[in-house]
Amino acid sequence: MGLGARGRRIEGKTEGKRGSVNIVSARQSASGASIRISRLEKRFGAVSAVDGVDIDIAAGEFIALLGPSGSGKTTILMSVAGFEFPTSGTIHVDSEDLTYVPSNRRNLGMVFQNYTLFPHMSILDNVAFPLKMRGLRTAERHARAEAALATVRLAGYGHRRPNELSGGQQQRVALARAIVYQPRVLLMDEPLSALDKNLREDMQLEIKRLHAELGITVIFVTHDQSEALTMADRIAVLRDGKIQQIGPARQLYERPANLFTAGFIGEMNFVDVRVESVGDDVAVALPWGETWRLPATAAVEPAVAGEAAVLAVRPERLQLGVSPAGQVIAVTLSDVVYAGAALLLIGHLPDGTEMRARIPGASQLSSLVPGDVASFTIPTEAMLLYRGKRR
Amino acid sequence: MTEAGRSHFWHSDGRRLSGLSTLLLLLPFFTIIAFVFVYPILQLLVISILEPHPTLDNYARVVENPVHMRVLMRTLWTAMLVTALSVVLGFPVAYYMSRAKGTVAALVAVCVILPLWSSVLVRTAAWSFLFQRNGLINSALMSLGLTSQPFKLLYTQSAVVIAMTHVLLPFMILPIYGALRSIPNDYGRAAAVLGATRLRTFLEVILPLSLPGVVSGSLLVFLTALGFFITPALLGSPQEMMISTLVSKQIREVLDWPFAAALVGVLTVFVTLLAIIFSKMLRFDRLMGNAS
Repeated sequence: MGLGARGRRIEGKTEGKRGSVNIVSARQSASGASIRISRLEKRFGAVSAVDGVDIDIAAGEFIALLGPSGSGKTTILMSVAGFEFPTSGTIHVDSEDLTYVPSNRRNLGMVFQNYTLFPHMSILDNVAFPLKMRGLRTAERHARAEAALATVRLAGYGHRRPNELSGGQQQRVALARAIVYQPRVLLMDEPLSALDKNLREDMQLEIKRLHAELGITVIFVTHDQSEALTMADRIAVLRDGKIQQIGPARQLYERPANLFTAGFIGEMNFVDVRVESVGDDVAVALPWGETWRLPATAAVEPAVAGEAAVLAVRPERLQLGVSPAGQVIAVTLSDVVYAGAALLLIGHLPDGTEMRARIPGASQLSSLVPGDVASFTIPTEAMLLYRGKRR
Repeated sequence: MTEAGRSHFWHSDGRRLSGLSTLLLLLPFFTIIAFVFVYPILQLLVISILEPHPTLDNYARVVENPVHMRVLMRTLWTAMLVTALSVVLGFPVAYYMSRAKGTVAALVAVCVILPLWSSVLVRTAAWSFLFQRNGLINSALMSLGLTSQPFKLLYTQSAVVIAMTHVLLPFMILPIYGALRSIPNDYGRAAAVLGATRLRTFLEVILPLSLPGVVSGSLLVFLTALGFFITPALLGSPQEMMISTLVSKQIREVLDWPFAAALVGVLTVFVTLLAIIFSKMLRFDRLMGNAS
């Protein structure tokens, strides 16, 4: 009954789709659903895997859940997929409460880390499987499975068996199988981590292209930050079951909301300081006795006079040489590493804190050797101030 | 021979085994197989056609005598019945074992494996106590008022089938369990998220992928059941003899070795044919995921 209704909806959509000839019109027929995850909690005994997570995902948005293992990102995805029921909280897709609906009635697409193509079925039967479950007739489902295979550029592979395909091809088949019934949400659980680097980059583009073509809402779980940064509209950074920050890549990278995100996304230098006074600007005492005045905007978290704080700066923001545009530091170099596009300089501040700098256009700097004391300028706008101490 | 078809043998550190080490590793095994299996079987088949003089008379006696053919058919039928019952009873247990964790799962595993530690004789004797005229089953039925007269249970073909199923069940459960365990959990999840109900997931994904285990369990149980001796001898009726009892009679009482050998020969032919049909029908390697 319910399945029948869904079957008809698929047909209606396909008619609309068939009329569309180019990518632009496909984009206009965007069919993603909005997702609202509210106060989600999942406890396993005494352990909270997910601890009060709220995420609002717009229709057609591509969102990445990023975090170290055990951060709860997979548990959130499992709850959306219906493999786990949360301890409390709700999951709505559009306005429908799916929190406790079984997986097979959620009508979501999902791609797993290990392809999960059924080894006893041909590629075509694998892709047609969800249509078979929805009661479509053989001819119809084969036609649609062929079309879905063409979307992932594997037309003509239908008669083969999963184990005759490469890993990348298998994952594209899994992708075709996940979109053939035109779900409005696509869940991806580290779908590229089993592939080697080049293939992974191809697949990233492939997934981006499909996302643009289909207008589907994507939740993408990954522990690979560069993958999250390249692919997602917004990234939710998770740690110990809690969201640390959620926002577009640029925001996460340029103004991380807290120390964890600052250290987790990209490379970051940290220096322990003490806040001396807070006014129109923030005065901080550095471990080697200097006092710097930072603009009030540098304080990402409110600075309190007399408390410990951490000064953070990205290695690529350091400028070699003395300039009036910021604060100058003296770094005793311990390593000079040629890294292609940039020269990586590793050294120590007067108090021993490690400092890294990435300087582009490396060729003219070849005279630097370990043991040299180099002066760097930290531009004022590159400095971020957090509460607490570095770990 | 093609590169793919050639066999390679490796040391655990990745170096290729030399021909000599391969030979040394396998020699004891093949020696035993040759002397205690291949040689006696061949000898038996030779006896069946050469004694008392070169003739097929012994085979004619098996095929032409309806009593002997009935024994053969009864044996095949019993083995099939035992196999079918083992699948029906064993699959759910194997399925449970493959899904479960913790104390109960360990307990089930012990219950499956523990009977293998006692001899078939002990287990058969236990059944004969249960099946007796005033054994546990009959007294239970009577005290519940379900029957006023005790049933005749001992020395029936049903008793043989029940006891053989019990004895052979572990050989069905373990291969099915192995096959089910090798199916990644994500397959079931993938099927569910693609819209399959639990029943469809089982029928379309889990069951087909567990078939190699069912096939090897069935072959194991069926072939063992064909040659079962103790259980039919202790629990079965003398009027409903099975082939092993008949062979034993020919060898030990009638001392007609050539005829006994012919019986074994006919059984061997049947078994070989069945095994070929079985594996052809189920296309073993396709199921195992090896492309042909």
